[in-house]
Amino acid sequence: MKRAVAAMKWLTRTSAIVLLVVVGSTILVRFAPGYFSDTREMDARYADVARAEMSMEAARSGSFPHLLFSEIGGWMRGDAGQSREYGIPVLDLIGPRLRVTGSLLLRALLLSWALAVCAALVSSAGRKPSLFWQAPATLLMAIPAAAMATICLLADRGGPVLVLALLLAPRDFKFLHRTLRKAWLDPHLLQARAAGIGRARLLRAHLLPSIAPQIGALASLSIATELSGLVPVEVIFNVQGLGQLAWNAALNRDLPVLLAVTMIMALAVIASGMAIDHPDQPGEWSSI
Amino acid sequence: MKFNLVAAWLLMGVVLIAAAIVAAPGASYSKQDRLLPLAGATIHHWAGTDALGRDRLVRVAAALLLSLGGALAAAAVTTAAAAGVGTLAAFGPRGLGWIALLICDVFLALPWLFLLMMVRSALPLTTSPANSAAITFLVLAALGWPACARAVYRGAVDLKRSEWMLHARAEGLRDGQLIRYVIPSLVPLLLPQFLICIPAFIVAEANLGALGLGVGEPLPSWGGMLLELDNSALLFQTPWVYLPVILLVIVLLLLEAIPAEA
Amino acid sequence: MRHSSRLVVAFYMILAVLAGKTSGAQAASRLPGELVWAIGSDPKTFDPAQVDDQWSELVRYVTSGVLVRFNRLTQTVEPQLAESWTLSADGKTVTFKLRPGLRFSDGSGLTSRDAAWSIRHALLPASHAVVAEEFLSPGGVTVETPDLRTVIVHLPGRVIGIGKVFDEIAIEPANRPSQGRVTAGPFVVAEYRRLQYVRLRRNPYYYGRDAAGNSLPYASGIRLDILQDQEMQIRLFLRGEYDLINNLPPDYFELLKQKDSSSVRDLGPSLNTEQMWFNQAPESPLPGWEKSWFQSRAFRVAVSQAIHRDDLARIAYQGHATPAYTFISPANAAWYDRSVNAPHTDLAAARAGLADAGFHLSGNQLEDRENHPVKFSILTNAGNDARLKMATLIQQDLTALGMQINVVTLDFPALIERLMHTQDYEACLLGLANVDPDPNVMMNLWLSSSPNHQWNPSEKVPATPWEAEIDRLMKQQASSLKQAQRKIAMDRVQQIVADEQPFIYLVYPNVLLAVSPRLQGVQPAVLDPRLAWNVERLRLEGGR
Repeated sequence: MKRAVAAMKWLTRTSAIVLLVVVGSTILVRFAPGYFSDTREMDARYADVARAEMSMEAARSGSFPHLLFSEIGGWMRGDAGQSREYGIPVLDLIGPRLRVTGSLLLRALLLSWALAVCAALVSSAGRKPSLFWQAPATLLMAIPAAAMATICLLADRGGPVLVLALLLAPRDFKFLHRTLRKAWLDPHLLQARAAGIGRARLLRAHLLPSIAPQIGALASLSIATELSGLVPVEVIFNVQGLGQLAWNAALNRDLPVLLAVTMIMALAVIASGMAIDHPDQPGEWSSI
Repeated sequence: MKFNLVAAWLLMGVVLIAAAIVAAPGASYSKQDRLLPLAGATIHHWAGTDALGRDRLVRVAAALLLSLGGALAAAAVTTAAAAGVGTLAAFGPRGLGWIALLICDVFLALPWLFLLMMVRSALPLTTSPANSAAITFLVLAALGWPACARAVYRGAVDLKRSEWMLHARAEGLRDGQLIRYVIPSLVPLLLPQFLICIPAFIVAEANLGALGLGVGEPLPSWGGMLLELDNSALLFQTPWVYLPVILLVIVLLLLEAIPAEA
Repeated sequence: MRHSSRLVVAFYMILAVLAGKTSGAQAASRLPGELVWAIGSDPKTFDPAQVDDQWSELVRYVTSGVLVRFNRLTQTVEPQLAESWTLSADGKTVTFKLRPGLRFSDGSGLTSRDAAWSIRHALLPASHAVVAEEFLSPGGVTVETPDLRTVIVHLPGRVIGIGKVFDEIAIEPANRPSQGRVTAGPFVVAEYRRLQYVRLRRNPYYYGRDAAGNSLPYASGIRLDILQDQEMQIRLFLRGEYDLINNLPPDYFELLKQKDSSSVRDLGPSLNTEQMWFNQAPESPLPGWEKSWFQSRAFRVAVSQAIHRDDLARIAYQGHATPAYTFISPANAAWYDRSVNAPHTDLAAARAGLADAGFHLSGNQLEDRENHPVKFSILTNAGNDARLKMATLIQQDLTALGMQINVVTLDFPALIERLMHTQDYEACLLGLANVDPDPNVMMNLWLSSSPNHQWNPSEKVPATPWEAEIDRLMKQQASSLKQAQRKIAMDRVQQIVADEQPFIYLVYPNVLLAVSPRLQGVQPAVLDPRLAWNVERLRLEGGR
C-alpha cells in the first residue's frame, strides 16, 4: 500500500515536470527572436522560397495554443511530431542518437568516477593542503569544455569520452575529497587510527560504507555537469549524438526536435534526482 | 603557519596588482596597436598583444577585475538562493518542499538559451558594455541555482536526521528556530558549490557573447579569453593565450585555500 | 604509503589508455578512390529542381548532367550533354543539339524528350524552382523536340545570359524524377545519412572522356561529410582524411601554410564583399533623430572616410583580404570599374563633412544639431571571427570622430528577424556572397522595391532620387542588348553607390583554399564551387 502511494507520488511528480517542461520550452522557443526567420532570406536567390516556407510555418504556429496542441498531438501519435528542419518524424532522428549519447555519457561517468575516487582517496589520506591534487583539478575546472576539446584535437589524443570525463572528474573529486576528509576526521575513525589499524582496512571497513549514501548526490551532480558539457563536446568532435542534434535544432528553431531532446534531459534529471531521494523511504523526509 | 591567511593576502595582492596595471598611466585595455597584432612580449607590451593589437597584460588585468567581480557576485547570489531553497525544501512545510524541488528539476531541463535570446531582444542594442555585463551576470545568477539547490537539499536532509538535530527536536525546538543552526552547518557543502560556480559563470558569460549578451567589445572578458583556447590557429601563433588560464587557476586555488580551516 | 602509490599508478594507466585512443570522428571510412571533403550542413533537398541552399546546389553541381555548363575558370558557356547550342538573332530561341548515344546512370537512353521534360518541369510553378525566375516570365516558355537529338526552347522575351541559366537545369529521366539517384552527370547520389554524410557514386555511363580517351570521372565517388566545426575540419584535413577545403578561414591559412606551404592557395579577392550599412527604413522603430543621421549622405560618407580598410584587411583577415570600395570585385574583370570615385580614408574630410551637416563635438562625444549624442550599435552575426574583429576595429576608427559604438553579435535567425522583419537595428555588418559575375543577379539587392534592398527594404516608390536612378539603370542593363551599354549602366550604378554609400564596402575576402598534396587535376577557380568545379577530373594520387 505504502509502495503504491509512493509510486503514485512519483508518477504525479514526473508528469508534472514533463508537462511544465513541454509548455515552458514551447513558450521559450516560439517567442525567442528568429522563430520566423530563415538564413536564406538574406540570399537574394533563395529569399522567395524561404519566405514562402516561413509563411507556411506562421500559419501552423500562429496561435500559441494551436502550436502547443499540434506538438502534443505528435506525441500522442507516437512519433513526437515532424522535425521542422528535416521533415521526418522526430523519433527517427532521436532513436539512434540516444544510444550514442547514452553510451558516451555512461563511459565518461565511469571514467570520471574512477579518476575522482582514486584521486580523492589518495588526497584525503595525505597531508592537509594537498596542492598536488588540488591544482590539477582546479586547472581542469578552469578550462572550458570547448577549449579542452580543441586542445585534444590539437594533440591528436583523447576523444569525447576523455574530455567529458575530465570535465566531470575535478568536480566529483572536490566533492569526494571534502566528504572523505570529513569522514577521516570522524571520532570513531580517529580512534581506530590511534589504535593502529591499517589505513587500507579502515578504508574498506569504515570509510567506504560511510560515504556510500553520498554516491546519490554525486550522481546527480555528475549528470547535471555532463549535460552542460555535452553540446560543445559533441559539436567539436562531431559525435552523432543528442547534444549535436539539440544544437542544430536550436540554431534552426526546430521546436519538435528541441522538445523531444528537452524531454529526455528532463527525464535524465529526474532519474538522477531519484538517486538522491532513494536512501530515504518515500515520504519519510518530511514526516519526522 | 596560517596557510589561509597567506592565501588571503596573496589574493589581495593579485587584485591590487591587477588594479595597478589597469590604472597605470598610459594603460588602456581598448587601444589598438595596429602595427603589432599578436605580438610577443616587448618592452611596451609585457605580455604581448591580442589579435587586434591590444595590450594583453592590461586586458587580462581588467578582465580579472571585471569577470571575477561579476562571477563572484553571481556565485554568491546563486549559492545564497540555493541555500535558501534547499533548506526550505528540507525544513519547510511538506507541500512547499515538493514544489521547490519540482521547480528545480524543471529549471534544470528547460532550454534557457532561448530565454537569453529574449532578454537580448528586450534590451536596447545600445545598452553599454558594462550594463550588458552586469545584466549577464545577474541572469546567470538567476539561472544557476537549481543544480546547487539540490545538493543543499540533500545535505539539509542529512542534517535533519543527524543526532544533534534529533536531540534539539526532542528538547522542543521548532523548525524555524533550528534553521539558525542549520545554515552554518551547511557551509562546508555550500563552499565547493560556490567555488565551482565561479569558473562555470566565467565561461558561461563568454558563451553568451554569441547571443549578443555578455561583456561587449571593447571591454575585456575573461571568458572570452578562455574561449580563445578553442582556436588552434591562435594557440599556434602565441603562447601568451594561456596566460588567462594560468591566472584563473591561481585565483581559484587561492580562493579555495582561504576558508580551509578543517 | 604503498596502497596509495598503487592507486596512483592505476589512475595514470586508465588515463593513458583512454588518452591514447584518438578521436574517431569520421562519419565513415574512405572507399578506394573516393574523394572526401566537408560541407557545412545538410543539403535541404536532392531534387535538382528544388535546390534552394548552398549545399544542395553543390550536390546538384557534381551530380547533374546539364545541356551546357558555365565554365567556372574561363567564365564561358560550354556544351555538355548538348554538343552544340545556338541562340537566334532576336535572342528568343535557343536550340540545343544533343550528343549521340547519351545514357543516364541506370543505363537508359537520354533523348530530347528527357531534356524537354526536365526544362518544363523546372518551369512549372508547382516545382518552386529558383531557376524559373531567371526566365523572367516562365509561363510563356515553350519547348519543342523536332527529333530525338534536338531541343528548341522558345522564350517570350530576351533573357540576359540565357546560356548560363541552363547550367542550373539538371536533365532527369522524363517523368521519373529520382532525387539525384539517376543522373546524366559524373556522379549520382548513393547514400545519405542525415547530419553525417552524403555519399556519391561514380556514374559509369557518364559521357565525358579525357584527352587520352579515358572515361570520366576519375574518382570512384565522393563523400561529403556534414561537419560544422572548423577545428575538426582542419584536423581531418591535416590528417589526410579530407582532400580539400573550399573556404579556409584566414587565421587557419598560416597554420596550414606552416605545416605544408604547398597545400594552401590564396587566389586573391573573391567576388564576395563585406559591407556595413545603416538602417534607413522610415518604418523602423528607431528615434527620429537617428533616422535622420542614417538618411544623411554626409553622415554615411564621413563614417566611410573614417574606416581604415587596410587595417581591416591586414588585421581581421591577416592580410588575406583586399580593401573594397565598390560592390564589384576586381576579380570580376568584365564588370569591375577602376575609375569609380569612392570616399577613401580621410579623417579631416570626415570631420569637415560632419561639421557641415550640423554635427559638433562636445568634449570627446559627437553630437548632432539637437545635441543628441551620436551613439549607435553595429550588429553582426555570431561565430564569424573576422566580422567581429572588423566591427571592433571600426568601433575604434569611429571613436576618432567622437562616435560611440556598441558591437553586438546575434545568432543568425535573431539577426535576420531584426534585419528583415522588425527593422529594429541601427547598423549592420555582413557579407554578400556572389556566385555569378554578372551583376544582373544583384537585381534583388538594388531594386528599391525588393525585400532584399537591405538599407530600406520593399519601398513602394523609391525614397530618394538616387535610388530611383539605380532602379532605372538596373532595369536598363537587364533589357539592353549590347554588353557595352550594360557596362555603362553598371558603372553608373557603382558610382551612385560610391557617392551615396548606402552600403559602406569594407573588404573583398580572398579566396583561400586548402588542397591535399595527393589530389591531382586541381585547377582552382574563384567562382563556386571553387576546387570542385572540375570534379570529374579530380583524383587521388595512386587512385584510378
